[in-house]
Amino acid sequence: MGWYNKRLAKSIWVFHMSASPCNKCDIEILDLLTPKYDLERLGIKLVGSVRHADVILLSGVINNKVAPIVKKIYEQAAKPCFVVGVGTCPASGCCFKESHNVDHKREETIPIDLYIPGCPPQPEAMIEGVAKLMGVLNA
Amino acid sequence: MSRNVIPVGPYHPLLEEAEYFTLTVDGETVTDIDLDIGWMHRGHELISERKTFTQSIYLVERICGICSTSHPLACVHAVEDVDNIEIPERAAYIRTLVGELERIHSHLLWFGLAGHFIGYDTLWMWCWKYREPVLQMFEIISGNRNHYGMMRVGGVAQDVDPAKIKELRKLVDTIDKKMLMIAGAAKDDPVLRSRLKGVGVLTNKDAIDYCAVGPTARASGVHTDVRKDEPNDAYGWVDFDEIVLEGGDVYDKFVVRVLETIESSKIVRQCLDKLETVKGPILNNVGEIGIGEGIGRYEAPRGEVFHFIRTDGTNRPIRHKVRAPSYVNIPTFQASCKGIPVTDALITLASVDPCYCCTERAIRIIDKNHDPTRLDLMKLSREKTEQIRREINGG
Amino acid sequence: MHKKEKFLDKMKNKIGDTIEKKGRLYFEVPNENILEVAGYLFIDMGCRLSTATCMEMYRGIEVLYHFSDDTTGDYFCPRVVMTNRNNPTMNSISPVVKGAEWIEREMAEYWGVTFKGHPRPEPLLTKDHPKGEGLGQPFRIRRQA
Repeated sequence: MGWYNKRLAKSIWVFHMSASPCNKCDIEILDLLTPKYDLERLGIKLVGSVRHADVILLSGVINNKVAPIVKKIYEQAAKPCFVVGVGTCPASGCCFKESHNVDHKREETIPIDLYIPGCPPQPEAMIEGVAKLMGVLNA
Repeated sequence: MSRNVIPVGPYHPLLEEAEYFTLTVDGETVTDIDLDIGWMHRGHELISERKTFTQSIYLVERICGICSTSHPLACVHAVEDVDNIEIPERAAYIRTLVGELERIHSHLLWFGLAGHFIGYDTLWMWCWKYREPVLQMFEIISGNRNHYGMMRVGGVAQDVDPAKIKELRKLVDTIDKKMLMIAGAAKDDPVLRSRLKGVGVLTNKDAIDYCAVGPTARASGVHTDVRKDEPNDAYGWVDFDEIVLEGGDVYDKFVVRVLETIESSKIVRQCLDKLETVKGPILNNVGEIGIGEGIGRYEAPRGEVFHFIRTDGTNRPIRHKVRAPSYVNIPTFQASCKGIPVTDALITLASVDPCYCCTERAIRIIDKNHDPTRLDLMKLSREKTEQIRREINGG
Repeated sequence: MHKKEKFLDKMKNKIGDTIEKKGRLYFEVPNENILEVAGYLFIDMGCRLSTATCMEMYRGIEVLYHFSDDTTGDYFCPRVVMTNRNNPTMNSISPVVKGAEWIEREMAEYWGVTFKGHPRPEPLLTKDHPKGEGLGQPFRIRRQA
């Protein structure tokens, strides 16, 4: 599927899924669309439905109530669809890993391809993460 | 039970959390609204019982990313209330400075969202662009754009460098100019007025019954502002007005926030002036916290944040209760959403500035005459704005 | 200050132990009087309910309401102690204070308290949760102090 991925990398459509975040990463993701960082010049666009998406941006530590829904939405996405975990929460649970409502394995719910750590990650770090993804797709 | 995945999507680009609203619709009018929450519930109160007081401050910062100073401030007020601990004067001014900057950034964020919901994407782009100087100020003061980690029991953790105060003043000037532009838009734009005036009214009686707080209550004539009722930190030493309006509709909530932002930048300037002259320590040495109960609160951009701590003489709390302002503001939907047309549902739901890290949602619409349907609330809202614009320009 | 004294004067037959601090008043109320005390605070004195806290201590399950007096910045906190741990029951104040509905639902879910007279006793945060409602009530650990 190498040729398909190369086409994908030219203009990635992104679906933003927030599963129990504190919202800071989500605001920073939306900040990327505003005039200072302006991701749309790279061809990246936010879409409203997961079926149109090439990349899912996941933020937040997935709690037990929302985990089945995250899994369902991932299954609905048209493959190949890459998942990028934004922030420290999808990577390690941040400070919530001892919570009584978060005790499942994140990898079993949704497989994550790329982690962008930080609480919240700087917008420049997120742009670098997306650029790395495009680099991997182009290879 | 099948869930209709939001017309406005819990995972819509601009709606961060998911909430489960069920709107019952009869023709064009909303007759009832019901809520199902719990998707954001991460269990702060239980985790806090295993952490020390200083670790709790790091934890409560991450309850909500937008009100990221309000929760730590209320938490340290609660711990300080157990034993009546005093803080140094310079620390009080720094706390007030950071708190008011956060209010400016949060209100600008809300203006952008409100503009996006009614179709004014330009307002969204401009408001978020003019938020950037505020985030730059945070980076100069604390080192991070969000989640500053500045509060400690007995003072603050970091000092403001006196050499940087001139730069901070220049940034406040940029923000002021742009706020006047937004205030002018609110006053003069006829489409904005006819779209928001008279929509989603919350009466004074309902605001008191549901115990609403913040701009939601102040737009309905209720005088409730923690900064005036119980002035902590430096609020007793600076000069500002409490903004209260009588109408209760979305337009009044918009105007309350605009005027509050202008008051906040007044407070920021006063704090910067004082920080040049007031010297001294920024952190008092606090020994052990005794046995007792403490209540701490703070006026977040959305209302009163309330923290309650019960201690037993060790360095961990045995009970830490958190109540965010959206918890009391969101049930007011049951009063303000009845009888409004569906096209106005979205902007009414957004007008309380819900911070759903305290809740989550998805919208499912039940039409009395048909089966459960998925209405695109965002599209309906924008179509109404276009129609009003055509009437005003054409007629 | 005179508001606090007026309150103590009027309600002295209805309330028990009192702890008074700067700007804060914590007092115990037996279950049968809580509706009257809450009504007096909310309607006659014009206080606003901030929230309510539930704790399990060695002597029983305590529910502490927090009423804020916005004109003076004081807090009035009535406390109800339930000694029956297996089936803690008390009167709900929702018929008088509409803002108490959500917080009483949450306390019922996590501590198993039954609020008599509550209009809608359903779980708030763990409805249809895959691990069951109340999540095993993780707060039910006895505390001292």
